[in-house]
Amino acid sequence: MKGFLEVSPLKVLEGSAYKGLGKGNLGVLMARAGVGKTSCLIHIAFDKLFRDEKLVHVSLKDAPEKVSSYYSVIFSDLVKALSIANEYEVRSLLDRNRIILAYLKESFDLNRLRKNLRNLVQEVDFIPDSLIVDGIDFAETSRDIFEGFKTIAEEFDLEVWFSALSHRHITEVNERGIPFPCNKLDDFFSLIMQLYATGSGVFLRLLKDHDSEAIPDAMVRLDPDNFLAMD
Amino acid sequence: MVEEIQHLRNIGISAHIDSGKTTLTERILYYTKRIFAVHEVKGKDGVGAKMDSMELERERGITISSAATYCEWKGHRINIIDTPGHVDFTMEVERSLKVLDGAILVLCGVAGVQSQSITVDRQMSRYKVPRVAFINKCDRAGADPYRVVKQLRQRLNHNAVLMQIPIGLEGDFSGVIDLVSMKALYFEGPFGEEVKTGEIPSPLLDEAVAKREEMLDAASLFSDELMEALLDGSVREELIYEAVRRGTLSRQLTPVFIGSAYKNIGVQPVLDAVTDYLPSPKEVENTALDMDQGEKEVLLSSDPGDPVVVLAFKLEVTPYGQLTYLRIYQGTVGKGDDLVNTRDRKKIRVGRLVRMHADEMEDISSAGAGDIVALFGVNCFSGDTFTDGRLNYSMGSMFVPEPVISLAISPKDNRSDTNMAKALNRFTREDPTFQSRVDEESGQTIISGMGELHLEIYVERMKREFRAAVDTGIPQVAYRESISRRAEFNYIHKKQTGGAGQYGRVAGFMEPSEDGIYEFINKVKGGVIPSEFMSAVDKGFQSCLKKGLLIGFPVRGIRITVNDGQYHVVDSSERAFLHAAIGAFKQAYSKARPVILEPIMKVSVECPCEFQGNVMSSINQRRGLIMSSAEDGVFTTVEAEVPLAEMFGYATTLRSLTQGKGEFTMEFSRYAQVPETLAEDLRLRYKEKSKRSKA
Repeated sequence: MKGFLEVSPLKVLEGSAYKGLGKGNLGVLMARAGVGKTSCLIHIAFDKLFRDEKLVHVSLKDAPEKVSSYYSVIFSDLVKALSIANEYEVRSLLDRNRIILAYLKESFDLNRLRKNLRNLVQEVDFIPDSLIVDGIDFAETSRDIFEGFKTIAEEFDLEVWFSALSHRHITEVNERGIPFPCNKLDDFFSLIMQLYATGSGVFLRLLKDHDSEAIPDAMVRLDPDNFLAMD
Repeated sequence: MVEEIQHLRNIGISAHIDSGKTTLTERILYYTKRIFAVHEVKGKDGVGAKMDSMELERERGITISSAATYCEWKGHRINIIDTPGHVDFTMEVERSLKVLDGAILVLCGVAGVQSQSITVDRQMSRYKVPRVAFINKCDRAGADPYRVVKQLRQRLNHNAVLMQIPIGLEGDFSGVIDLVSMKALYFEGPFGEEVKTGEIPSPLLDEAVAKREEMLDAASLFSDELMEALLDGSVREELIYEAVRRGTLSRQLTPVFIGSAYKNIGVQPVLDAVTDYLPSPKEVENTALDMDQGEKEVLLSSDPGDPVVVLAFKLEVTPYGQLTYLRIYQGTVGKGDDLVNTRDRKKIRVGRLVRMHADEMEDISSAGAGDIVALFGVNCFSGDTFTDGRLNYSMGSMFVPEPVISLAISPKDNRSDTNMAKALNRFTREDPTFQSRVDEESGQTIISGMGELHLEIYVERMKREFRAAVDTGIPQVAYRESISRRAEFNYIHKKQTGGAGQYGRVAGFMEPSEDGIYEFINKVKGGVIPSEFMSAVDKGFQSCLKKGLLIGFPVRGIRITVNDGQYHVVDSSERAFLHAAIGAFKQAYSKARPVILEPIMKVSVECPCEFQGNVMSSINQRRGLIMSSAEDGVFTTVEAEVPLAEMFGYATTLRSLTQGKGEFTMEFSRYAQVPETLAEDLRLRYKEKSKRSKA
């Protein structure tokens, strides 16, 4: 799977302090509506899966069927873009390493998630390396929830990636340069990335890199068709 | 009698077991005056609901076969096909859906959208069936129609819109508020037959206004007139009906009704919805395949004056002989007419033409396009197309899934032996997913189907309907063999022992093919194998696919390329090349690293959240792969892929793991290679069995 890792959106972390998020830590990918937040988040998931790591995708808005179809569509794009020959085998391997946990109709709470993760570890021997969390409304979610996620990340030795929706009309930015909706929550996150589109393409840049004072001037340009790193 | 096609409705009532669809049907028949008393499904009075015509169904309180019936409501004739609610009877459901123009999706107001509702709804989407939803059992403790509407949106992806709101719920459920007329509806009389309208109770007025706004917003997307009327405040009921109808027919809107069939609340408005919102046969596009033009798809007219095109969608055995249910797509069928079966071009004469009312019937003289009727004494298979001979159309072969499980059966006595044969002959004609054969080696009769329950039901039907008592063996998985790499063959079949000799050489290679299909590629050049022998070569290879060399199961997913060979001017024959191909197959098969494949089922388990761990563990113990888990309120749905071989007896296990609160459905997903340890075990068992049969 070397081909993918060379063009993964997470190439943006090559210049970062730890080259990645690291277990026990939280990371967030923020973008405005329609830029491709979920697609990019799933590319982060593929980065983990292609490294043969185990992953749990937590969805707070979509049913598993829909999440699974996102993965299928993106995988089909990757098969074409990377000319993956043994598609069936690769897909089977990825399916083995990914489980979707969906919480529909406001069924989500941290205790349920913790219990579900424990079931996966104890009953199925599925020990996840990463958690992808899609669908949390950052503007409406209290700090307690993120504290809870931090505890879960440490307890289960996981790295946890979130997506966050930013808005064109809310321009708040904190003193550390982190925009809404992460401006009041940035202390929870070790990595903060922003996905944005300009006339010249779609870009992913790093806004926070662990405790490093100097944010590397890292930015990758992504192919808008398949979110793979260009250049 | 209503004759105009625009006043005809062919509908199904489809849902999860125990959602109350049979009770709903019974009430519909009562209100439309087809029956004059109502009974419960589980028949405390020993009579049973009208649609469960088979004794077994009455006993189990579930509906297995599609029984057709009709009724009339406010100038419309409604043909109702009662469809089964269990996934093991998928073929029955699919066949019913093919002939339906619309459906009522019945949901339980307490349990909501359950796993089986998802399967049935997916099937309806495949056949593009518009539907209205009925949230039943709103009188039960825990009923919450608003939650069910949300589930319809989230889990089934319906643009579900409430057309009513309840007056009270659970024990206080007493009527509904119609959001179109903004009137309260109450159902009075001993069986709710009198619909009384009244003013909306004041505590519910604000809610009714708000929900009406939601409904109008959704409906206005399908009608510019309604949109304009909303803006200038001149909304009329006709505009709402028209907009909701357009949305429903385009399958972009699902109007939702609520009630309790058992308590006789809210059934008549559902009948109104069937006539108001579901399509007439003329509004549905039906196509057939023109066999004279290379199966070109042709549009059917729904015109009773056009040449006849009819589909036999269901066969049933009755004490008077075989009953064949027909859907007339085009033309008119009358008593004494001749019809031609497209499959074998055989002519049949229409003797008795009847309209069915569950297990009772009414003789009729003719029926036109769009109608559903039944014929007596016609010898055909389910899925056959009939025309009047002027056309050579086929309604297309319906997708028939391959059976995944088989069971050896043997009659307990001589009388049962004869009756068993009759029963099997009947069942295989009725249901293409049910197959029967005699095993050449053991001489045992083997029945195959789509699941344990599927076969169990047929065994019981043998006993009850045909008085054939049978012993059953242990269910067997339909394994398959395949190859995993390319291998060459070069085989000479040569025989010269008196008389005419036999000679043929076949050379080429075999390799795995995609999607499990068999392909034969002829790349022979220069006539080294004369073209007249190539079909014998193909036949020779195909004969080997019936029984693989590893464990004796059929071989799938193989591509054979023949690129060389040799013939003899005197000794070569079709027979010689057929044997050469068989020899070539045997030569290459073991080199092509053959593997054993097993059916993998997509399993969906639904249970209260507290049992999620137990369920996951039970799937893991069965070599299952958990794909997802979705929490929805207090319920969890765990989706997994599990080898069929591990699913025997799972219903019992699940019941004990979840205190009887869990249920599961499964359907065939794909074939996958069995683990090596299991493959070894299967090979050993096959060797022992072969040895025993030789001894």
